[in-house]
Amino acid sequence: MIEARNITRTYRTHGAFTGPRTVHALRGVDFTLPKGGAVSFIGESGCGKTTLGKILTGLETFDGGELVVDGTELSGLSPRRRAPYFRRIQMVHQDPYSALNPTRTVGQILGDPLRMRAKETGASRREQEDRAAELLELVGLQPDGVLGKYPHQLSGGQRQRVVIARALTVDPEVLIADEAVSMIDVSMRLGILSLLRDLRERLGISLLFITHDVATARYVGEGGELHVIYRGQVIERGPTDRVIQAPVHPYTQCLLSAIPVLRGIEEPGPDRLVPLASLDERTDTPGCLFAPRCPFATDACTAERPALVRLGDGAGGADDPGGADGAAGAGDAGDHRHACLHPEARHVVAVEAAV
Amino acid sequence: MTETLQTPAATEDRSAEVSVRDLTVVYRTDRGELPAVSRAGIELRAGEITGLVGESGSGKSTLALSLLNAVPAPGRIASGSVEVAGVGDVTKLEGKRLRRVRGGALGYVFQASQNSLNPLKTVGKQLLDLGRSHEVEDLQGLVRRARELAERMGLDADRVLDSYQHELSGGMRQRVGIVLALVLNARVLILDEPTTALDMISQAAVLDIVRAVHRENNLATLIVTHDMGVVSEVADRLAVMYGGRIVEHGPALEVLQRPSHPYTRALIGATARIVGDTTRARALPGRPPDLTTLATTGCVFRDRCPLASAVCEEEDPALVEWTPGRYRACHADPTGDRP
Repeated sequence: MIEARNITRTYRTHGAFTGPRTVHALRGVDFTLPKGGAVSFIGESGCGKTTLGKILTGLETFDGGELVVDGTELSGLSPRRRAPYFRRIQMVHQDPYSALNPTRTVGQILGDPLRMRAKETGASRREQEDRAAELLELVGLQPDGVLGKYPHQLSGGQRQRVVIARALTVDPEVLIADEAVSMIDVSMRLGILSLLRDLRERLGISLLFITHDVATARYVGEGGELHVIYRGQVIERGPTDRVIQAPVHPYTQCLLSAIPVLRGIEEPGPDRLVPLASLDERTDTPGCLFAPRCPFATDACTAERPALVRLGDGAGGADDPGGADGAAGAGDAGDHRHACLHPEARHVVAVEAAV
Repeated sequence: MTETLQTPAATEDRSAEVSVRDLTVVYRTDRGELPAVSRAGIELRAGEITGLVGESGSGKSTLALSLLNAVPAPGRIASGSVEVAGVGDVTKLEGKRLRRVRGGALGYVFQASQNSLNPLKTVGKQLLDLGRSHEVEDLQGLVRRARELAERMGLDADRVLDSYQHELSGGMRQRVGIVLALVLNARVLILDEPTTALDMISQAAVLDIVRAVHRENNLATLIVTHDMGVVSEVADRLAVMYGGRIVEHGPALEVLQRPSHPYTRALIGATARIVGDTTRARALPGRPPDLTTLATTGCVFRDRCPLASAVCEEEDPALVEWTPGRYRACHADPTGDRP
């Protein structure tokens, strides 16, 4: 289990012409990823979602907050003591075309990390080979056909399966999938997504799914949570379908409105919303980060930055999970939180057309 | 030069700006010349957006490039014609005359236009290069027109012209690509994967812009994409490609509602959707063919087709009009029953 508490990451740059600049890549992100669970992060490019993935895999440091893996807080440990924890968290890269070394066969690609892992587990050479074949079968490939092949001899979908198999060589408990299907052909995307869902169900692997394509987040399985991240801040989170069907933050609503409607099969949602302006990361505001683009912003929004609160809790209101939201037919609100002073559920995503 | 921008969309001018007939493009490989596009036919009409959908290796980008007669070696157009209104058959042109058509009559926005801009020159300098290579005398007029187009797309024109490509966001670069494609008053706009590298909000904004400039300039627009959602947002007509063939073609709404080719049906079924039952969606079995695995006899889709029968092994189905206005290349029954 991974728990992130108030993770922040700030970049300070000093350009020759632009002068000093501070970029808040993450402004205090919290989440809990239980065993076998799934948390999806969605947002525009530049919102910090990739930075988050890198921090969790140890490729990037964070400068505030706590990252707790199985009860151990990592920032206090030396890099050497930290390494075994990051072994449990593996990354599935976005682009299977560049994530695999073109000069090495699939067998070699899987062999190296298996050998490293064997130093810890004491697995024999034979066991390592068996494990490579077993992993390829697990990800839906024929070991005999694939082991001797080079990446260019495989399709995009097959390559991504190899990337996933490679991540599994070190027996991780968590997979971080950063845009794992965006480079895959449409006809095979669902295959990769159902593989990820399968790994959750069969091996109890937890999944952190990072994407800009919200629809794919629905396909990673039951019980998933959706976190919407904007300029480094989580502005809405809750059960995936709940957030998609009844988002309360205007940014989430804009993001979901932008999903193309499959005309003929779907009809546009009734309350579609477009942001007033395009993203400008340079201006810093003491108020709500989305206020400059928000169609519903009031003076209060530019004065004070709203914190993430449970839906239904007003300022200092009673603890009333999911009570006062007024979204019809959305069922139980679950743990639905938002950072908006004027939350209102709107239906923005497409509805299925009556046939 | 600037008038066309203000002209309202001409009423129902549906003459064909581009007609592709029987086009075959082959690539030379170790195994001889293999067809990337086989006997493809398509018409782009003024005032219509055509969506060309297919997976990687389906030949959609090759088809789009052959509209400019710009198929890179070792590929070549083996047969067929690409008639462009007022220009003639592009496949017969070469040298200076061909260069003038590219970017002149035919505006092309390249795949990942992020990477098609010169990183060493400002956008404005590249615009002037474009003007000079097309022997535009009134370069000031060209800049004026580029400014108007850029403003129309919600860009700060002066800032953009003075920027290097790395100073612009992905969505802005895509818009710059469209400005450069249209600045010489192209009648035809070809966009290859215009939104692939963009996030949802930029994608929606770019598609809005494509729709608007298309309407205002009464263009014949072709959008090449792998994304059914993009096509369904903007296209009037939809052509689906698989294994180098156009396997289905018709009015977009009808094709989406009642796909008649098993591949189209499967592709729609394999699209991750924001509503509906997630367990109903299915990935296609197998993988899309590439040049070397493409079937040489029979239907190219039969290996992945749920409706394949004996006749599919032997005979390559031709693209025929099975009901007025709709075309398909399949032996099976259009409703999805076995032949």
